[in-house]
Amino acid sequence: MAADATGVIHDLGYQPYTGPRFGRAAVVRTLTGYSLRSAFGLGRGARAKIVPVGVFVLMCLPAVINAFLVARGGTRAFPYDTYSYLVRVVGMTIFLAAQAPELVSRDLRHRVLPLYFARPLRPADYPLAKLVALITAGLIVLDVPLLLLYVSTIVGVHGPGAVWHETVLLLPGLAYGLLWSVVLATIALALASFSGRRAIAAGAVAGFFFLTWVLSEVLGTVATGPGHAVTSSTAAHVAGLVSPFTLLDGVRLALGGTQPGQVPDPGAGWGSGYALLLVVLVAASVAALVTRYRKVGAA
Amino acid sequence: MLTTSDPPAPVPPGAVTGAAVIETTALTKRYPGGVTALDSLTVEVAPGITGLIGANGAGKSTLIKILLGLLPPTKGRARVLGLDGQRDAEQIRTLVGYMPEHDCLPPDVSATEFVTHMARMAGLPAVAAKERAAESLRHVGLHEERYRAVGTYSTGMKQRVKLAQALAGDPRLLLLDEPTNGLDPAGRTAMLELIARIGAEFGLSVVVASHLLGEIEQICDHLVAVESGRLLRAGSLTSLTQVSQLLLVEVADGPAGRTADLAGELGRRGLEPRPDGRGLLVPIVDEATCDVIRDAVADLGIALGRMEQRRHRVEELFRPADLEVTDGR
Amino acid sequence: MTANDMSSIELRGVSQWYGNVVAVNDVTMTIGPGVTGLLGPNGAGKSTLLHLMAGFLAPSRGELTVGGAPAWRRPDVYSMLGLVTEGESAYPFLTGAEFVRAAARLHRLPDPAAATRRAIGLVDMVGPMNRRISTYSKGMRQRIRVAAALVHDPEVLLLDEPFNGMDPRQRLQMMDLLRRLGHSGRTIVFSSHILEEVAEVAGTIQVMVAGRLAASGDFRAIRRLMTSRPHVFVVRSGDDRRLASALIGRPAVRGVELTADGLQVQAADYGAFSLDIAGLARAEGIRLRELLPADESLESVFAYLVAS
Repeated sequence: MAADATGVIHDLGYQPYTGPRFGRAAVVRTLTGYSLRSAFGLGRGARAKIVPVGVFVLMCLPAVINAFLVARGGTRAFPYDTYSYLVRVVGMTIFLAAQAPELVSRDLRHRVLPLYFARPLRPADYPLAKLVALITAGLIVLDVPLLLLYVSTIVGVHGPGAVWHETVLLLPGLAYGLLWSVVLATIALALASFSGRRAIAAGAVAGFFFLTWVLSEVLGTVATGPGHAVTSSTAAHVAGLVSPFTLLDGVRLALGGTQPGQVPDPGAGWGSGYALLLVVLVAASVAALVTRYRKVGAA
Repeated sequence: MLTTSDPPAPVPPGAVTGAAVIETTALTKRYPGGVTALDSLTVEVAPGITGLIGANGAGKSTLIKILLGLLPPTKGRARVLGLDGQRDAEQIRTLVGYMPEHDCLPPDVSATEFVTHMARMAGLPAVAAKERAAESLRHVGLHEERYRAVGTYSTGMKQRVKLAQALAGDPRLLLLDEPTNGLDPAGRTAMLELIARIGAEFGLSVVVASHLLGEIEQICDHLVAVESGRLLRAGSLTSLTQVSQLLLVEVADGPAGRTADLAGELGRRGLEPRPDGRGLLVPIVDEATCDVIRDAVADLGIALGRMEQRRHRVEELFRPADLEVTDGR
Repeated sequence: MTANDMSSIELRGVSQWYGNVVAVNDVTMTIGPGVTGLLGPNGAGKSTLLHLMAGFLAPSRGELTVGGAPAWRRPDVYSMLGLVTEGESAYPFLTGAEFVRAAARLHRLPDPAAATRRAIGLVDMVGPMNRRISTYSKGMRQRIRVAAALVHDPEVLLLDEPFNGMDPRQRLQMMDLLRRLGHSGRTIVFSSHILEEVAEVAGTIQVMVAGRLAASGDFRAIRRLMTSRPHVFVVRSGDDRRLASALIGRPAVRGVELTADGLQVQAADYGAFSLDIAGLARAEGIRLRELLPADESLESVFAYLVAS
């Protein structure tokens, strides 16, 4: 007594999508998240992680050193606002020179942009999403070491008063790190967006930051005279205009940051000048980015 | 996934509304510098598979950008899927899948990763994007190779990835720009079959921009021919490939003299054949013309290689019908 | 057409390898006046073959002569040879006319201006000839490159994917041009993936598969040589089923299929079937409306050659 044999053919044909669809806002958020992951080489193989992770480790070194010193009974070795100027300059230059091209030059070189623009986002959304991602990445690279510094310090202090003291010092430091990231990432992304070739874009970014920094160092040395006694000469302040790093430091000093800085204390006058130039640089870079991608979108 | 005892019949595209998928009204685009890419183009694209031919580079890319809402027209209007091209541009872009002509794939990601990312960028949630990406890659025929980096793919595989990313967002309309570009004959055949299947079974409309009249004739239901930014002709393929009243008769092998014999015999029986390349063109007098030919061939003991009612070809839009000209091959 | 024809290209046992990659494998062919289409899947060796014919490389083995003498290391072969390569190399900052005239002067023509005008007229680029090449569309660039290759009126013209990027009207014009040049006794060789165009323009074809020469000649004749494959015909008649029944009784017929579009007949013996069909239809009193060879197109022949 055999059972009736039955069979079934499943429909493997094309099925339309009936689920929820996200709008522009969610799509831009997705792009930002994706770009942030790219900035650290996630999802792209081991080689892509070498530079970002390496820079991150480098940036943490002062915090690690601090941990050792505190463990031996010392006090915090680095201020929260400046942290370590040299490590930051080198670290951010390398990080941005390597990762800004990763975010924008790749898509330009391989002409992926028409695919993005055929989707529900506006041409200006693309560079802005990339910018937010790079700023966030820079923020991680700059401020997470600060947090490590903080943690490694407060294990060595006693009493809530001391902890509160450290916290109050930490917070402006975090904000200053954000300012660094906003300024530097915007300039780097704008520079990188002009070339589809990674090497050229990286060279442009690294070249700009490095050369302006060297120039500011040289001019600063010259301006402070043979004895290197820092005076509040105009020349030294002018020298500080040359590099974004010194502009940032000047603003920090004007707002009451730890002395000494890279330039003589600028006071309110020069301080406003530095701040204004920073605003101009950021605004010009954003404008360049938006214009660049509007041109690409319509091209 | 449905469970049925039979695969369901394919869904005819445009079955719901039957309305035009693209409508342009006096669409004009002039660039600074005097180049007029589109000149008062008024056309309606019906659902189904439509071929877009003749548009040169500037006109074609301009038209696509205007349809996707990326470029404002100088004059005139475009509507896509019933939506206004300027006002509803973002919504249009959720409903249209675009496959560019040029290379547009980064070489260092896998097809799966790339198509998933693009599906998310089309507004799909993460899990749905992954699933639809996998399905799209299956529909275009990419299997285990989808996990390798795209840079290792052949041209044919890359074209399929481009098509998959256009499909993954579940569009109502596919814009395919020269989809057989760079493919060898086998690759072209495979791609054309895929497009025909998509148009027939997937329930979406397809616009194929191509310069190759042969492939347009093969897979398209309708045609829009543009030249110098203006509409040259728009209509169904059947209207453009109608049968003429001419029969082409070819003798199979054998000495060329047999063709002349046949011509003579047909003349004796009241027909007026004239030479055409390797055969004869015989004007059809009435229903019985083909019988006359059959009988003449049988009586003469000639091997019949071909008897075909000549059709008009799309090529005639660009060149007058040369049904009278000898091929001279 | 003898081997000593001034414009013929002859290959004898030509092989070309790059390290372990054998791009061309023991190819023997003669290409004479008229238009010859060079076909093959990607990577079959077509570009390499064209480069060998153009004298860019010496064959790793074998002999290759153009007009009776080897093309390699013979600068004066370029006075009789024109080459249009794949890709879009043309100087964007020159105007079309300047580009062609530069080619004319490189060939040391006695009247470069006249030759330039003539060549540009042949490719129908007179209108835009004084505009910069950077403003040209892909098809226009292609045409100006053909003009530069024709400016010295070569007897041999080699083209790699010449119709790339051209819109339908330009394609048809270029096809006409190649046909005319072929008729006038020049030797034209072009490679293309667009088989319908090759079928219209080329008198003979050379099919390369994986570096070897798979077939040469007229593609219909090649099809007839494939005797192991039955010829497929589509027959439309006044009574398909009755005709099918009659046909299956004939020894020349291997199989018959009734489709919505008519009968598909597999004829094991092409000659016998084509002799038979008219008489058979008449004897049965069946009107024969159409008889079409279904797999005699270049597409089918090519697919069979690549598959085997």
